[in-house]
Amino acid sequence: MKINVMTDILEANDRIAADNREVFDKHRNLVLNLMSSPGAGKTMLLEKAGEALKGKLRLGVIAGDIETARDSERLQKYKLPVVQLTTGSACHLDANMVASALPHLDLSKIDILVVENVGNLVCPAEFKVGEDYKVVMLSVTEGDEKPLKYPLIFRESALLLINKIDLLKYTNFNLKEAKANARRVNPDLDIIDISCTTGEGIPDWISWLNQRYQKKFGTKARA
Amino acid sequence: MAIARNIVNIAIAAAEKEGAKRITKVNVVAGELRGFIPAQLIFCFGLMAENTIASGAYLDLEITPVMGRCRKCEETFMVKDYRYVCPKCQGEDIQTVSGTELRVKDIEVE
Repeated sequence: MKINVMTDILEANDRIAADNREVFDKHRNLVLNLMSSPGAGKTMLLEKAGEALKGKLRLGVIAGDIETARDSERLQKYKLPVVQLTTGSACHLDANMVASALPHLDLSKIDILVVENVGNLVCPAEFKVGEDYKVVMLSVTEGDEKPLKYPLIFRESALLLINKIDLLKYTNFNLKEAKANARRVNPDLDIIDISCTTGEGIPDWISWLNQRYQKKFGTKARA
Repeated sequence: MAIARNIVNIAIAAAEKEGAKRITKVNVVAGELRGFIPAQLIFCFGLMAENTIASGAYLDLEITPVMGRCRKCEETFMVKDYRYVCPKCQGEDIQTVSGTELRVKDIEVE
């Protein structure tokens, strides 16, 4: 016997993500789902953002890690509100895990909440967590063909950060090719070249954050 | 892995609702943009189905191609190699109409 089902496999997750989104909107949080391969520089990016946004927009972080709490320890040095989610064997954060972190954060004191996903270019793209935007980070020590190998994550993201731009001359990474590949998958993608080490491009990333915050809430960032 | 678990759960829920004893086949539709490797998903599905009424069920994965619709001239076409350019008017404002779906279509039970 055949039974018609027609159920979206991610429906349960999407429902919880929508609930999260409602909570975020109520607290006036701009929420980003930050994704990359392991070691691309997500945590360092947040360290830099925390510094640059100090006294302007208040940053909060939910950090996903398979085993350790090292990322959140690094971020706590910057006095950022951080919740660490240890995912065990799971290779991504889902809406439910993020929901479980919310009681541990004072969302009313956060303007921009970044969900730092587990380092992985595949699964995180599948699971909405309630974010306004997905941001994908690629470093020049990876390959410029990545957007074509992992199309969904580049297709779903609003912003691509190309990190470690200071190392470009030591690699065979073709910046032009990487951007062309990314735009092939997603013509609307914003792209910013950065180096978390030298600070190059960080002001552009900060102004992207400011623009998106203002777009969502229509007000100037708190001075 | 989580996707495989969801597939098994959805299939079991649907089968139990109809009072079925065993699931023999699960038909899943996945868009090409999802980037699944069928062998991997089938392997995970097999693991997740163990010791359930879906144990030993065959997972059929139907990959749907990426289809785009040009917002300028309304042409609908198949997007190959992620080239989001309208073949008719060369427009680049393309809406993805399929290729991202991910659902359990139907199941076969005993």
